Amino acid sequence: MTSYRRYDTARPGSKKSRQFFIQGKQKSEEHCCKPAPEFDTKHCHKCHKCDKCCKCTEQSKDKSKEHSHKSPFDYYFNGNPDATVLQDGDQVSSLDQESTELIWVKESCNIEVNTTDTQAAVSLQAGLELAIALVINIAIASSEQADGVSQELLQHVNTAQRNKQKIFIYNTKDARVTTTDTDLAINIQALLQVLIALVVMIDIL
Amino acid sequence: MNDSSKQPFVPEKVVQLMVDSIFKKNGIKPEEMKRNISDEQKQMLREMVNDLRKQVDQFNKGNNDITKSSD
Repeated sequence: MTSYRRYDTARPGSKKSRQFFIQGKQKSEEHCCKPAPEFDTKHCHKCHKCDKCCKCTEQSKDKSKEHSHKSPFDYYFNGNPDATVLQDGDQVSSLDQESTELIWVKESCNIEVNTTDTQAAVSLQAGLELAIALVINIAIASSEQADGVSQELLQHVNTAQRNKQKIFIYNTKDARVTTTDTDLAINIQALLQVLIALVVMIDIL
Repeated sequence: MNDSSKQPFVPEKVVQLMVDSIFKKNGIKPEEMKRNISDEQKQMLREMVNDLRKQVDQFNKGNNDITKSSD
């Protein structure tokens, strides 16, 4: 008997790639004697240095042409000056989860296999996260504050999970195998604790 | 508190402190939150939380049963 399951509730790939791109830009940022106050044409878009300090202009003409383009980094920071909650893309609310299970039984008899129903656990986890966001949104009038709080709460609970199990049974008789996805169980318990702490605080329970 | 809360994976005080500090950081007072929720909403939220708690208990209980049977 062979079973292979994979659940991936990650966000669409396009959003992720954008996020990494922005992070990459941030890492390449360098400060000089006089950091550029704004991203105008007098400052190099690539290294963020002023005209005097920028060594990019000494390089080949082809490379200086690249600098004249406005980078996505500029759009990111100049896009909305009134933003109250500044965050890197959607990383806080993302849930990346993967459970892989492979059970191979060969030339054996009377083997009993018990596995956790991962799909039910994943949906329960999603339900709890939704409930936390719901309570926050109802209780806090300001939607900006509500977004900030619910994202921060879920950020503390969120964990990157990789659960890989491989079981091979060969030439065996009368065996019983049980697998449990402990990561999921802990995560669900932690989410429930946050939800209960939340509703106790606002006198619902 | 029910069975699931008696043996928490994360200490209860840690969760309370976390929630409290996040509220304070965002300038939110619990009194204001209480005022924003009507009695009807409170009742609905109470039912929702109890329902989810039951589901989590059932999930944990299922796992424990499997573990016990394998011993």
